[in-house]
Amino acid sequence: MSENMKSILSLLIFPGGLAVMAAGMIYEYIDRKLVARFQNRVGPRWFQPLADFIKLLAKEEVIPEGIHPVLFQWLPVVAIAGALTSALYVPMFGVEPAFHFTGDLVVTIYLLSILTLCTGLAGANVANRFSIIGATRTLTQLFSYEAPFLLALFGPAIAAGSWDIAVIEQYATSHPWLMVFQPIGFLVALIGLMGKLELPPFDAPEAETEIVSGALTEYSGRGYALFRLGRSVELVIGLTLVAAFYLGGVANPLLFLAKTLGLLLIIAALQSLFARLRIDQTVGLWWRSGAVLVLLQLLVLIALKYFGVAI
Amino acid sequence: MDLPKAWEAALVDLKTWARINSPWAIHFNSGSCNGCDIEILATLTPRYDLERLGIKLQGSPRHADVLICTGPVTRQARERLIRTYEQMPDPKFVVAVGSCGITGGAFEGCYNVANGVDKVIPVDVYIPGCPPRPEAIIFGVSQLLQSLQPPKKAKNRNAIVTNPITGSTPKKGVGE
Ligand code: SF4
Repeated sequence: MSENMKSILSLLIFPGGLAVMAAGMIYEYIDRKLVARFQNRVGPRWFQPLADFIKLLAKEEVIPEGIHPVLFQWLPVVAIAGALTSALYVPMFGVEPAFHFTGDLVVTIYLLSILTLCTGLAGANVANRFSIIGATRTLTQLFSYEAPFLLALFGPAIAAGSWDIAVIEQYATSHPWLMVFQPIGFLVALIGLMGKLELPPFDAPEAETEIVSGALTEYSGRGYALFRLGRSVELVIGLTLVAAFYLGGVANPLLFLAKTLGLLLIIAALQSLFARLRIDQTVGLWWRSGAVLVLLQLLVLIALKYFGVAI
Repeated sequence: MDLPKAWEAALVDLKTWARINSPWAIHFNSGSCNGCDIEILATLTPRYDLERLGIKLQGSPRHADVLICTGPVTRQARERLIRTYEQMPDPKFVVAVGSCGITGGAFEGCYNVANGVDKVIPVDVYIPGCPPRPEAIIFGVSQLLQSLQPPKKAKNRNAIVTNPITGSTPKKGVGE
């Protein structure tokens, strides 16, 4: 197989593209089912995310007045493109990342933020007060969790002495679970992931009881479908990243499944345990405790590294 | 794009399947006494768990497929009801819940009501009762979904005897 063919395959089919989308839908289903079971419900059927997606695609797309139509139509595409691209640098499904270079950790984290950024822009683009409030909250939340999340992922990077996700993952595989030595980083990364995905209790940006649907209020049909799919894709990628860094790597598909599903169980339990935080409480939580604690841990790590203590 | 006939038919089937399995609802109170609304909220609680049918309550009319409407439509609510209906993207369906939503019920003939939802917007399914029980609401919605089935699949279209809770008969129904 020629090099080009291989790149295209990994972009479109596996491990990027279709495979990640399918995994995203499956994980979304598991998440919803788990939350439903925790609430003593039966929960959705296994094809629910697929049915939702197709239905939204088949619906009319209303383009409201007073907006920039090109932005309105292309922001969802950019959002999902960002999420899918980041899948290429992450050891999805326990196989080697499709591409890697030094510093791809930073690139991946920024690619993962594109979805949130696009959601915020999409909300600010339309002349709807709920969307604008939602967009403000989305971006506020982006500023609050992004830095702690980034710092939490830097912990393993410093321990491994590399900015390359594949190298960090190998380091994590060959060493005891980093979760034990960097518990704060693990917690912050996991909860930061929930903030990133706007899962409860961090769902103030799309609080349907207050501001309709937040930034995506005006989206119907295709745009909304793509934003939703993008979020499911981010769920899988985020889980993979945290599992690869803190839970001793994802060396093969079985380990990948076990570890990511374990994390998903914790996330689903947290979702059903806590009620929604106000946006100022979210920001306070991240900057007053999350960022400070993880920064402290990072300093300790750097100091240990500097003095040559094995970590 | 021109697709072969078979492909197009398959695509239509797929769309219908998705539509039947993922009806997102929005709830609108057009001046009801709140009795029906309490029952609708009870229907959405874990006790009856509508998510197993794919039904989800949405906040925005832009995301909804089914408008669940209660009340006799007061003059004040009339414009809002029409606006909410028009904000929903196609294809959209309306379910009128309660005697008030059907004829005006207890408020029939009052100077300030329109006597039923169908005087204002087209209605697909009527659910009688004052207020209807959650089971009746689920039954009504599943009737609506069955009516979307292509004719060849919905054999007993006019005599659906699905138990809305267990969904035992018919086997192919949405109440499974
Ligand atoms: S049908 Fe009965 S319960 Fe429902 S709104 Fe009318 S009066 Fe109230």
